[in-house]
Formats: sequence, structure tokens, C-alpha cells
Amino acid sequence: MHSSTWKSSLAALAAVALIPASVTAHTVKGTHTGSVTALTRYSSGTFHGAVDIGSGGRCNYWGAETGVVGSVYWAVTIRTSGVVCYGSGSGNQNEARHVWQSGWTFRQWHFIKTADSRNRTCDRCQVGNIGGTGNSTGPHAHLQQDKLGTKDTSWYQGYVSVGSSVTRAKTIGVLD
Amino acid sequence: MKRLCLLLTLPLFPLLATGAHAASADAQPALRASTCSVRGLMDDLRRGLGSGSPSYQRYLRTLLREAAVTLPDAELRDAFARETDPVMAEHLAAALVARAEREADPQAMDVVAQRALQDVDPAVRAATLRAMRRTGALERTGDLYERMVRDESPQVRQEAATNLIEDNAHVYAGQYGPAADTAVTAAVASSDPEVTARILDNLSTEKISAESAERITSLLRSDDASVRKAAVNALGGVPAEQMQGARESLLAMYREEPDEGVRKALLQSVAQLGFDGAIADLQRLRDMDPRLAREADAWIQVLGMGLQEWSLLLREKQRLQQAP
Repeated sequence: MHSSTWKSSLAALAAVALIPASVTAHTVKGTHTGSVTALTRYSSGTFHGAVDIGSGGRCNYWGAETGVVGSVYWAVTIRTSGVVCYGSGSGNQNEARHVWQSGWTFRQWHFIKTADSRNRTCDRCQVGNIGGTGNSTGPHAHLQQDKLGTKDTSWYQGYVSVGSSVTRAKTIGVLD
Repeated sequence: MKRLCLLLTLPLFPLLATGAHAASADAQPALRASTCSVRGLMDDLRRGLGSGSPSYQRYLRTLLREAAVTLPDAELRDAFARETDPVMAEHLAAALVARAEREADPQAMDVVAQRALQDVDPAVRAATLRAMRRTGALERTGDLYERMVRDESPQVRQEAATNLIEDNAHVYAGQYGPAADTAVTAAVASSDPEVTARILDNLSTEKISAESAERITSLLRSDDASVRKAAVNALGGVPAEQMQGARESLLAMYREEPDEGVRKALLQSVAQLGFDGAIADLQRLRDMDPRLAREADAWIQVLGMGLQEWSLLLREKQRLQQAP
């Protein structure tokens, strides 16, 4: 969607050297081209505990790619069917999630529903377009790892900071 | 294409440097031009496999899989179809599978599955199965695994079992019922007791269907003790809706079961299905077989602790039995 195969392929090739050797760890790459807008805390100081990747205001433009490197099963939940860029209410975000064997869940939120928004196993596939469904003030991807209500903030530490440029070749973090 | 070649070559630099450091601390390895064709990557891979460096070999395998999305589809498929060396066939198959998993070529998985089914060389069939490990192959290959666990080669049957186990554990984390059901169907379809037992012993059954639970229950009558034991283990973890039926089947089996190991597994599964509600059942079973009185006592003691998670119960039982 709007991103040529050529570009994403080059990005994938450039990323090869960064893939960790461990067979159990999963690298997380950028979901689209943009920049990091929030991490553990918002600029206000409020806890956030996740990575927000903005899209420079572009809505329904970039494909929302699952950033996790490696084949895993994605359960996609659609709570908002329309094209929404600036929020459809808290709890109404579209979500792709993968539950790890450890019980931790990795989630990607806020994308706009497309024909690609379906459950399946894949390695970095598109599950929608970057948008702002749910509790959102603008189009972005929210990447979160949590278990029993606790958010893991360690997986992205040292990989990105607020303002970092993001592409699909950029490593956002590593999930053990 | 030049940009692509450059990107392929640059990541080699640190690895080549690592391999060359013993030769001279001063001499820096020169960047080497690399071809971007399937043939070029295969040549690199063949050289790398002979390098003796596991890291470099892993890197090249990753490189081929990552580059797969940019490789010409027809060339890759032709190379795979011609390749008879199991090692190289596995890597080419992995590249095709990667194309399917990245959704660059959804049909590529079918090509690999067909080879796994039809190649005359069991080593190639086994290699292509390995290439599908920890991917979405379970969702895309129909009854492939049901057929592969009946392959004439024991190696192929075991590779199929490994795929079913690892896919369920690492791709689905035991949380996807249809994948677990596929594994159960394959386990029941296999006439190799080792394969059936291995799959059931290593499968999370917490999301299986009622039909799968029934299939596993039918294996409680197997002539092979290892299959009966694995079926008992598998029934210990079934979803809540199937717990009552599983409990009744296991309790009914205990009296007639001749094998001590299977009886021990029965005690554990009864405990797993009932937690502290199983204490009364275990007290009755305890008196049927004096050889397992200590085992039953250990379960009764642990279940009486009121622990709420199975992993904690297992740990406590192990601790009790290790204590002097």
C-alpha cells in the first residue's frame, strides 16, 4: 500500500546485519516511515509505556506493517471500521496482537481497517493502514508489550528516542 | 541493481573482519563485490557452509531469507526444483517460504510443500520440511502434516512431528486451536508410536476442540504404553469444557492400566484436571497400587497447599520429592 516493493525490499536487505543471532529473540522494525513521538512517558510526564510512531500527519497513506521479524500469528481485532485519523474514542482502536509463550502480549494499535485486516501468520505483513482509531490525537502506530496489565518498557530502551526517524529498516527494539 | 548489490555486500563486512582478524591485525579486509542473483547467493552460501563459522553460516542463511523477497521468483523456483543436495534444497526452500511469509509470493509455500510430499529422496523431503518450521505452514498446507507423519522414512516423520511441536509452541504459543487440532489429527493419523507420543507429549492442548479431545481419548486404548502415556499427558491440559469427560476417562482407565509409568502419568493428569478437587480421587487411586502410594501422597500434599497455578504445583511437587 503506497510503498513500493522495491523500497521495502531494500529496507529489508539493509536491515539484515542488525538481526540478532538468537533464535528466540524477535527484533521489532518500524511499521511505516515516520518518527517516534512518545515512549515511556508523554511530554506531559504521564506514563505511556509504549512506542508511538507518528506519520507526519499522513493518514490512511502508509501500510501498517507488523514490525516483528519472524513468523508469528497475529490476531486482528477491528473495533472501528471507518477511516478515522483523529480518534474514535478510548477502547475503540483497531488492534493486531501476538501472545508469546511466556504470556506477554505484543500489540499494535490505531490502524485503519483494510482488506488486509485479518488474522494470520506472517513475517512483517500489513494489517491495515496507519490511522488514528481509538484514543488518538492523530495518525500513528502504538507498539506495546504487556502482561496482566503491566507494560514492558525495556524492549525498546536504547534503540529509539523521541524524535528518532523511523523506517521499516529501523530497529525499534528487541523482544526476548 | 547496483544499490542492491552494495546493500548485500556491506553487511558482510563485520563478519568477514571477524573471520580474518587472526591473519593480521592491520590488514583490513576489502569490501567484496557480490552478485545479486539466486546463483550468486547460492555460491556465497556454499562457500559459507564450508567456512566452519556457525555465525557466518547463520548470517548467510538469514541473508538468503531476507533477500528472498527481491529475488526473481522464477529463478528461485527453478533453482529449488533443480537442487538435489538436501542442504542447499533446505536453504532454497527457506527462501521460498520466506517469500510466502512476507506475502511477496503466497503460492511459494505450495511449491515447497509439494516437494516435501513428492521428492524421491527422504533427505530432501526432510530438508524441505525443516524449511517450513516455525512458519505459517500449518495454515496453508492442508493435510500435508497428516500425510508426512505417515511417510515411509522415520526421519521425515520425526521432522514433521518437530514442525508440529515447534509451530504450535513458537508461532502460536499454544493459543491457536486450529493449529493444535492439526497436530492432534496428525498424531492420531501416524502409525509410528514414537511420532504420536512425541507430538502429544509436547503439545499444549488448552485450546483444542472437543473432536480433538475425543481423538486423544481414543488413544488411551493404544497397545503402545508410550502412546497411552502421551495421551494421558495431553488430556491433562484440555480446555474447561472437556475437563469432566477427560477426568472420567482417566479415572476409568487407572484400574486396568498395567504400566506403572502410565499410571504415574494418570495421577498427574487427574491432579492437573482437578487441582484440590482431585484430592478425593487421588486418595482412592492411591490404594489401588502400592507402588505409586508415595507418588499419590506427593500429589495430595501439593494440591492441599492451595496453589493456583499448575507450574507452581509442578515445582512444589518436584521440590518435595527432591528433599532428603
